[in-house]
Amino acid sequence: MSVWLDAVLILIVLLGLLIIVSHRLGSMIQIFGLQSCILGVVPFFLYANGIEFFIIIVALAAIVLRGFLMPSFLYWAIRHVDMRTEINPTIGIGTTLLLSGLAIVGSFLLASKLVFPMKIASDMVIPCSFSLIIMGFLLVIGRMKAISQVVGYLVLENGIFLFAMLLLKKMPLLVEMGILLDLFIAAVVLGIVVNNISDEFNNTDTVQLTTLKD
Amino acid sequence: MTLLLSSLFVCAASIFLMLALARFKKLSSYVFLGSLIASCLLGFFCAAGVLTHQITDLAFRWRGTIPFEEFYIAIDPLSAFFLLLLFILSLAAGIYGFGYLRDYKGARNVAVHFSLYQLLILVIALVLTARNAVLFLVAWELMTVVSYFLVTFYNEKEEVRQAGYLYLIATHTGTFCLILMFFLMGVHAGSMNFDQMALSAYPLGFAGLLFVLAVLGFGVKAGFIPLHIWLPQAHPAAPTHISALLSGVLIKIGIYGLIRLMTIVGNFPLWCGILLLAIGIISGVLGVLYALGQHEIKKLLAYHSIENIGIITLGLGIGLIGHIYHQETVSFIGYAAALLHTFNHAVFKGLLFLSAGSVIKATHTGEMDHMGGLLKVLPWTGHLFLVGSLSICGLPLFNGFISEWLTFRAFLEGVFHFDLYGIMLACIAIAALALIGGLAALCFAKAFGAVFLGTNRSSHPADYKEGDLVLQAPQLLLAAICLWGGVFPAVMLSYAFEGARPMTRLTAPEFLQEAVLNPAFMVTKVLGLAVIFFLVLWLVRKISLCSCTIDRKETWGCGYARVSSRMQYTASSFARPVLRIFRLPVSFKVESRISRGYFPTGAGLSSSVKDASEIFIFRPVFYFIKKLSRALKWIQSGFTPYYILYILFLLVVLLIWKLH
Amino acid sequence: MSSLILHLGILLAFPPLLLGVITKTKAFFAGRRGAPLCQPYYDIFKLMRKGSVYSVTSNWIFRLGPLISTAVILAAGIVLPIAVFKAPVQFGGDIILFIYLLGLARFFMVLAALDTGSSFEGMGACREATFSCLSEITIFLNLTILALLSRGLSLSGIFLGGLASSWMQVGPVLILVAASFFLVLLSENSRIPVDDPETHLELTMIHEVMVLDHSGMELGCILYTQALKLFLFGSMLVSMVLGLMPRNVWGQGLYFILGILGLGVVIGVVESAMARLRLNRVLYLLYSALIFSIFALIVILVRGHV
Repeated sequence: MSVWLDAVLILIVLLGLLIIVSHRLGSMIQIFGLQSCILGVVPFFLYANGIEFFIIIVALAAIVLRGFLMPSFLYWAIRHVDMRTEINPTIGIGTTLLLSGLAIVGSFLLASKLVFPMKIASDMVIPCSFSLIIMGFLLVIGRMKAISQVVGYLVLENGIFLFAMLLLKKMPLLVEMGILLDLFIAAVVLGIVVNNISDEFNNTDTVQLTTLKD
Repeated sequence: MTLLLSSLFVCAASIFLMLALARFKKLSSYVFLGSLIASCLLGFFCAAGVLTHQITDLAFRWRGTIPFEEFYIAIDPLSAFFLLLLFILSLAAGIYGFGYLRDYKGARNVAVHFSLYQLLILVIALVLTARNAVLFLVAWELMTVVSYFLVTFYNEKEEVRQAGYLYLIATHTGTFCLILMFFLMGVHAGSMNFDQMALSAYPLGFAGLLFVLAVLGFGVKAGFIPLHIWLPQAHPAAPTHISALLSGVLIKIGIYGLIRLMTIVGNFPLWCGILLLAIGIISGVLGVLYALGQHEIKKLLAYHSIENIGIITLGLGIGLIGHIYHQETVSFIGYAAALLHTFNHAVFKGLLFLSAGSVIKATHTGEMDHMGGLLKVLPWTGHLFLVGSLSICGLPLFNGFISEWLTFRAFLEGVFHFDLYGIMLACIAIAALALIGGLAALCFAKAFGAVFLGTNRSSHPADYKEGDLVLQAPQLLLAAICLWGGVFPAVMLSYAFEGARPMTRLTAPEFLQEAVLNPAFMVTKVLGLAVIFFLVLWLVRKISLCSCTIDRKETWGCGYARVSSRMQYTASSFARPVLRIFRLPVSFKVESRISRGYFPTGAGLSSSVKDASEIFIFRPVFYFIKKLSRALKWIQSGFTPYYILYILFLLVVLLIWKLH
Repeated sequence: MSSLILHLGILLAFPPLLLGVITKTKAFFAGRRGAPLCQPYYDIFKLMRKGSVYSVTSNWIFRLGPLISTAVILAAGIVLPIAVFKAPVQFGGDIILFIYLLGLARFFMVLAALDTGSSFEGMGACREATFSCLSEITIFLNLTILALLSRGLSLSGIFLGGLASSWMQVGPVLILVAASFFLVLLSENSRIPVDDPETHLELTMIHEVMVLDHSGMELGCILYTQALKLFLFGSMLVSMVLGLMPRNVWGQGLYFILGILGLGVVIGVVESAMARLRLNRVLYLLYSALIFSIFALIVILVRGHV
């Protein structure tokens, strides 16, 4: 079972890399949706020998919310503001890629030093969640368009969700729902921001926001 | 030992003879040629004899003449290996220099230059054999000074003087570190004798300090990035045969010094090995990237020396790390790879410099973008340069491949025998070596293509003349060694392993046959098969062409009718994409001048690469030093009594210190 | 000696078929019937019988460069095990020789392109050399990983028998390595997302523009060499994925043949489904290949599966 879990985790990280290389906002969102769906499958592998009802709920909620609702919401946003591609990222795509390669190495080294108090089905869960978090950060830092920043933020959240799944059995369901809610609110807020930026400036380039500084 | 001493004696005698005969230019240069051949051959046989265990008297001591004990020289396999390379290369470069300066009409006296050349061989041999720190330092200093005079042969030119100053200052800064290092070691061991020093045990922290000092001191000479700034200036400034010697031998003496320290001290902390690997990776990758950005052929070759020093350092690094991990085989292979690459680099870089010199002599320019199509007019030089390029890229059939193969081999062995972090280091180094190999191939495709292939780009294509036999013979010798070292590598491999013996505790390398010599034989076999395949294809082509027609037409201009030679891909444009990829570390800039209007004139494009260490390290440091020295200028009043006052002051201070 | 002849026979006979499979697949996806499977053989034989046109600018390097590269890549094939047949020449460290022989072949092709003095060919040569610099790192890292897993320093040790047990332990990681290898295969053999072997628009091509001026037998050699190189890479990939063992010759041989034909179909599908990438995005593809192999390496190292 651990082999399949590993494969799924590797796939999730690779989809993260794919989000980084794709310059079309539409495909970024699609890949993010795919990544979230796969992420929703992870708990079944993680708790293969004791699937309980609430695990199924959490997984389904994650798939529906992150895999379908969020992407369609973002799709609606890009259609609304009519933009297609990310141009002139602050950190070039190649650099971001190489940095995320470094991030993967770094998170594996870091995770090999950490001692997790429970037994985990695979020792790749933690480093993969770290790498997703760093990749999300890189996207948020390196991109100009608000939508790609939102996607970056969501990738980061995916990383946190992956980590949180380790605590699924110890922690009450409440925490999980809290994370999902938190995510949802964040997306809503950013969506409103996106729309407002585009209404005010006819552009969603966040560079324009710097004119607001004084 | 007698052979070496007689070789050195021939050197010394010829110096005086040449100086005495300096008025008769022709005669003195013939004296130079004769004595050079004699001394180099004697020295060569001595070194080869030591490496094959045929010579047994290995030391010469002469008590009580030099401060701190004695005049003590000895040859161990390590010294012998470097002596081998010294004598081969200085023979080739010397003969070339004889031919190169034959028709020199300038103001300098050639005889003095030649006698300095002999003196340089003498002092380098002394550096390599000295077993006493004081003697070593004296010879080291002499080496610097003598090579300075040789480099600044054309000192009527401003840039040559500049380069010379830079060289002198840089290497003296290095020597300061060396003096400090030997002083510390001498105090610790209670003797300036290397044998005595090797007997005492050094604590790890102290060994680390010594190592850093050695890397600084020897690294300046060897051209580690970022200590390399003198190197790309001095090589183009020097006459060709001196550049060859500088790149082939002189910078290797820095490597020798480092290895010598390793044999004396023995045990180092792990970070020293990592430091070496880091230096190797940085020097290798940045060296070749800087080389890609050069437009001047000798400068390009100079940066390639830095790259190869990087590869050598990688070998040393894996040797040291293997030693620290107690994996003696890994360490042995690593050290031997470093030594072999040192030798190979000396040979092919010598060859490349000499043939580049022939190109410059023929075309009177070093700008690659003004050349092109020279293979037709300079066939000898062109093909010799091709041999050199193939060797330096480490491509099979030539000697560069064998040493790069051995270096890779050491890292792969390391991957099998180290722990997690060791494997990671080894993998990083493997990736770096692969990158260096690819970039070097790109760079030499660029150099060879721009200089020898296509059509000539210069606006005044003069009738270029090929050099005569005196210029060709040394290049042929070196090219033959390149090919021999690549096809029959067993001899040089066993010499390299013999040379690396002082650094490990392995005495009888029984694994050598199985792990290195058999594979090397297999390489020869595969290459032989490749040659057979090629011959078969060639025959097929010959036969099939009998019945077919061969047309000779203009190169297809893709529909454009008036193709000119200026439309060819230039060296700069060839290097541009890869430099764009790596623009961050090499600060690659392209400047274009676009002119507008109905009859645009004067459009142009120029690209340049800035040496980051020069801009970010040395400029600020020198600026600071300059400010500091300006602030201290008031001491230098120019008024004699003040100076006498200073002396008095110093004397009083010394007196108080002594009495205290 | 007999193994050498067998090996050479396979190397001479099979590779063009792979090209045939790819074009057939592409034709299928385009809704055409397509050229016969053996078309590459016909092409090569046709070219072998033709006369040549040489540029007046060129030297022997232009004329003999393709021949040298063919001979050298054939020699590289000699150290590589194919299907269940061990390489006729194998030794510890032949990995390095293999990669350097490919480098030698490339070096001569680049020089041959520069020899014509044409700016287009210079451009192609420059791109080829640039991209191969990056893919070479990935090949080295991938082979290092495989060597680490199979504890073998020779290609035969790695690809025959060394990897079968690793699939059980670190399967997902090996898939990563395979993916990275596949990307490198596409870029080294100038297949579609990197380079389009069938366009004739000089400005967008890499490998094809480099051989623009060759004709006659040299072009035949180039065509064959292209197929051979693809076959060598493909056979490494297939042996790695199938985890072949040197026993049960017929069964394993059949697997291998199916595998390599399947690879041809996969490449054909990729070529039909994708468009050529822009040049700067090719770089990202190569970076991704590199990151895949770094990822695989770090997982293996941290897991301690060595």
